[in-house]
Amino acid sequence: MHLINVFLEFFKIGAVTFGGGPAMLPILKRELVTNLHWVTMKQFLYFISVSQVTPGPISVNMATFVGYEVGGVFGAITATTGVAMPSFVIISVIAVSLKKISSSAVYRAFIAGIKPVIVALLIGAIYLIAKGGFHTAIPFVMAIIAFFVFTKFKINAFLFLIAMGTIGIFLIR
Amino acid sequence: MIKKLLKLLGTFFYIGLFTLGGGYAMIPLMKQELVEKHRYFSSEDFYEMFAISQVTPGPIAVNMATFIGYREAGILGAVFSTVGVMLPSLIIITLISLFFTNITKNIFVHRFFIGILTGVVAEIAFVTIDVWKKSTVDFFYYTVFALSLIEIFILKINPIYVILIGGALGIIFKTKEFLKNAPH
Repeated sequence: MHLINVFLEFFKIGAVTFGGGPAMLPILKRELVTNLHWVTMKQFLYFISVSQVTPGPISVNMATFVGYEVGGVFGAITATTGVAMPSFVIISVIAVSLKKISSSAVYRAFIAGIKPVIVALLIGAIYLIAKGGFHTAIPFVMAIIAFFVFTKFKINAFLFLIAMGTIGIFLIR
Repeated sequence: MIKKLLKLLGTFFYIGLFTLGGGYAMIPLMKQELVEKHRYFSSEDFYEMFAISQVTPGPIAVNMATFIGYREAGILGAVFSTVGVMLPSLIIITLISLFFTNITKNIFVHRFFIGILTGVVAEIAFVTIDVWKKSTVDFFYYTVFALSLIEIFILKINPIYVILIGGALGIIFKTKEFLKNAPH
């Protein structure tokens, strides 16, 4: 695996990641699992769950995992550099030009067009996790109950996930 | 200068290390560190930067790090801050990959991770509804949303293009409106 390919792939992903971690999951899955076969679906789901309960931005965690898988430590460094590079360039420009770009009418119209896509991508993320990871009725039921508990009680996201994992040890078959 | 750069590196390393759950979960800690403790930002600037981060690509923490680093110490400052915020992830995930490669072969560990995924699905569902509620849902929004669902689930178009199509439709149909209601 050429490191330059790893860099370009994650640069591309970083450039279209609007709206935070979960919305990018369908993009990562399509590119890294379906198109390039850099990781299997099973690995991909494992990376998602670990990324959510370890420190740092989800996208950086995912980049490190996949980068390591395809190119060892240098692959991990290359992938994280690639995924952060678009933000780095854009924010540096904004820091100099005092946010002129982000307040232009064309750019705001562009973002207005992306916002509804983000919601569709989030639904896509739910679908891909459920389809790939839930093989019996139990995890579906757990997810539905978890949704109501999380919405009602606004629990700390990290502790909530650890609790769900622990329940999973006992319930999932 | 070196001292300033190392301070930026240290501050953002700390933020990267102690922010579990990514994105929005990082906001309170970032505010405490950047506004209250180190005074890199006024509270108003912080929320302005947060708003900019939401309309630019990339993780919010990386955006914040680059912006503050650049303002404090130019391009080198941006590099040190950004490296700082990503380093904990890089180290921790690399160590996990090194030492726990076959961990999911254990059935209980596997169940633990599937259990976490049920929670992840619940959290994403929560975020989805939250984003929808906070949006101005007009005819344009509905149309692009429905079109995106068709592109993703039926036509199975690469999501990268789905994003670009949405952005292009925004430019075509929304620019006029934003030109009329210019901000400030």
